[in-house]
Amino acid sequence: MPEVAVIFGGPSPEHDVSVLTGLQAARGLATGPGATGTGVRGVFWSKTGEWYEVDPGLEAEAFLEGVPRGASRLQFTAAPGGGFAEPGGRLGRARPLELDVAMVCCHGGPGEDGTLQASLDLAGIRYSGPTVAGAALGMDKLAFGAVMVAAGLPTLPRAQLVADPGPAPFGGPYIVKPRFGGSSIGIDLVEDFVTAQARLSANPHLRFGAVLEPYRPDLFDLQVAVRAWPSLELSAVERPLRAEGSADILDYRDKYVAGEGMAGASRELPARIPPELEKSLRQAGERIAALTGVRGVARIDYLSDGREFFVNEINTVPGSLARYLWVAPPIPFATLLADLLDEARQRPTHAYSAAGADGSVLRSAGSIAGKLG
Amino acid sequence: MSAVGVRFPLALAGTGRFHGGWAWVTVGACVAAWVPAGLRWLRVAQREHYLGGSATRFAIRWWRSTGPNAALAVAAIAAALASMAWPIAGVVTAGVVALGPLGLSLRGRTSPLHWTRRLRTLAAAWVVVEVVVVAIGLVTGVAAPLSVAAALAVPLAVDVACWSTAALERRLSAPFVDRARTRLQRVDPTVVGITGSFGKTSTKGHIAHLVRPTRTVVATPASFNNRAGLARAINEHLTDDTEVFVAEMGTYGPGEIADLCRWCPPDIAVMTAIGPVHLERFGSEDRIVEAKSEILASAGDVVVQVDDRRLAAVADRAEAQGKRVLRCSAVDRSAEVCVVRSDDGSRISAYARGAALAEGVAVAAGIQPANLAIAIAVALVLKVDPAVVGARLDDLPPVDHRLQAVRAASGAIVLDDTYNSNPAGAAEALGALVASTRPEPAPGAGPSPARPHRLVVVTPGMVELGSRQFEENRRFGAAIAGVATDALIVGRTNRRALLTGLASIAGSPTGVRLVPDRRRAVDWVREHLGSGDAVLYENDLPDHYP
Repeated sequence: MPEVAVIFGGPSPEHDVSVLTGLQAARGLATGPGATGTGVRGVFWSKTGEWYEVDPGLEAEAFLEGVPRGASRLQFTAAPGGGFAEPGGRLGRARPLELDVAMVCCHGGPGEDGTLQASLDLAGIRYSGPTVAGAALGMDKLAFGAVMVAAGLPTLPRAQLVADPGPAPFGGPYIVKPRFGGSSIGIDLVEDFVTAQARLSANPHLRFGAVLEPYRPDLFDLQVAVRAWPSLELSAVERPLRAEGSADILDYRDKYVAGEGMAGASRELPARIPPELEKSLRQAGERIAALTGVRGVARIDYLSDGREFFVNEINTVPGSLARYLWVAPPIPFATLLADLLDEARQRPTHAYSAAGADGSVLRSAGSIAGKLG
Repeated sequence: MSAVGVRFPLALAGTGRFHGGWAWVTVGACVAAWVPAGLRWLRVAQREHYLGGSATRFAIRWWRSTGPNAALAVAAIAAALASMAWPIAGVVTAGVVALGPLGLSLRGRTSPLHWTRRLRTLAAAWVVVEVVVVAIGLVTGVAAPLSVAAALAVPLAVDVACWSTAALERRLSAPFVDRARTRLQRVDPTVVGITGSFGKTSTKGHIAHLVRPTRTVVATPASFNNRAGLARAINEHLTDDTEVFVAEMGTYGPGEIADLCRWCPPDIAVMTAIGPVHLERFGSEDRIVEAKSEILASAGDVVVQVDDRRLAAVADRAEAQGKRVLRCSAVDRSAEVCVVRSDDGSRISAYARGAALAEGVAVAAGIQPANLAIAIAVALVLKVDPAVVGARLDDLPPVDHRLQAVRAASGAIVLDDTYNSNPAGAAEALGALVASTRPEPAPGAGPSPARPHRLVVVTPGMVELGSRQFEENRRFGAAIAGVATDALIVGRTNRRALLTGLASIAGSPTGVRLVPDRRRAVDWVREHLGSGDAVLYENDLPDHYP
């Protein structure tokens, strides 16, 4: 019988958080109230990019040293009829995993930037969460910011940070962030533009590009989860709280190290904010969902001073699948998971087309040598 | 068939004094005894990294550990000798082998048996060894005595299985090593190889901390320091973006590090310290220095702690070979990198070529200046800005299980030094214990508490010190008697040595308690310690030690 594969881990700075999300999802699918009864397979993506099948009932501790005990290698083929298979089963033939749906629980890196999604598309495996385009847009802070600006949504200035001499695009102090990457790893707070530029060569996380934003200590984070299936819906608004005595910005430690991933962090939920602010946040959230083509559950992060707000970023595969945000109206985790699977089955991520490639170009082409000449 | 059935029972009887049936009973009892005995000693072999000789060494240690065990061992050997004349006596040996040594559990609590692929292979090889011995007995007509000998020598048979499967295991692990080699070549990081008798893990952590803001760095997980572990670290942890790979390289014998360096050659070689660790496998400390020096072969840069004059000599030799050498010290400011600790131990100052990188920085207890000096030197070789290095010293994380102090719910201070098993570290831990309850000057504080502070040391002593083990533990016992109010000796492995040391200090007020395992010690500590008291847990031994 075809089964559900929960995919987690991956070569990403958020590998460990993804393990937590994946194990929670696997547990929710297998044992939660209203569990579907379909078999659940654990597909672990190692930090070095290898695939393994693991027992989905494992605890986080089993992954402390890397690939857990008892894991078996899988191979992945990105071609029609491909997908995951156990290499060299009986008689040396690969045994394919018969999958109904893959539930993507990868954060950051190639699991949330469209790479995995593209591979699954090529292998013909249906999956939950963002499409290639949605994931790629969400992972590119510069492109996402530009789309928000084009749509007339409120944002803070955001500029590409390059080492070229020239005037600062806006005044400091600044936050320097990696252009690609979902987490707060590699984020620096700097006073002036020269220091910001100096970080480019010193901070290894900025090798593939960096963006510059103004640092506004008066702003705090507000987050809301959004899904488009079975209908467009927004969760309660959350105000994550920074740990006492921690850094100036909500960092990775605040978010993840304290407890069981995002579901264990400290927060104000629902956030105590003025009703009109909440209303405009929600309206913006619905527009962002449409602009970015939200699929699965996404989390939109805003910055606010309590009166106005700025769109900051979108996480297309948020930690713990943002399950803890669905308190009003309450959506049980099992329902959330069942809806994700439902959407994966019924809402295609792509439809490759060859319309127009009817041979007419080839017929009239003449010889290749002629074209080169 | 019937011919065989007739011939063997006669042959089994050996001397022929008893008829065949009794001999069969003995053989049966011995074979039955294989199962529990095999589980025990296979577990020990697994815990001791499948090193041939471990099971026998532990067997001797266990059978000598207590009076009852020694008595059982004598009985088993006597019965085995008697079985040459009277086969049935062998049943006694089988019984002892099945039940003992008392205290060594079958599956293990702190270190349970894992039926991995490797253990299954080892178990199969061991069964073959046992069966071959009995088969020889059947053919030569002394089946009963040989079965008895085979039962008695289960640990030796496990060791023989370890030795004979070593080549096979090497072949089986070759694909993993090949994969690791290929991956390492593709990612092509700067490899920092660290070896030393102790301080490897701490140094590795310090290097990662100092280098991380500037270069992407991956360090091998804690215990991944042999061939299989290093290959696994590369295959599973060396991500594509890695610029610096910090690899811990351990050794149990000559040639092992040279072997690791063949497929994982360090660009920067680091030697932390030399001490009498794993001495029983090397014989002498000079041979340890020699084995560790294998790490230098491929490296262009060498970072060595030179407070030990043997390592200073290694540094001189490396320099003579044209390598760039950075000498590190915890005392000598003229060394390339020097880190010194303040008198009260809570602050450090770091100097590179005489210039101060940081002065008077507060650090956690248990951070070793020499290890830190080495880490700073490596960071400088990796071209980390000295200003960044200095700044990173401010938030140096404590080393796990290395003198980490926490306050228990009862208010007592708990010092965790359970990963340490070397004499220098143990002496330092005692100093930290004394310092931990030193009263802080509190203005307007009331009179000092009526009850004196309790300073407790919980320890099973140190192991793997070869011929020095008794002496080092005796000295440690004497040192405990000098500072602690209570000593809890865990298990029997070093009990006699520690007691001898504790008794050697005349008039010492230290109360001594003997506990069978750490859990019992923790219970006692929970019951008796409160605010103002402190306890040091020094070293921990898994339950395959007596």
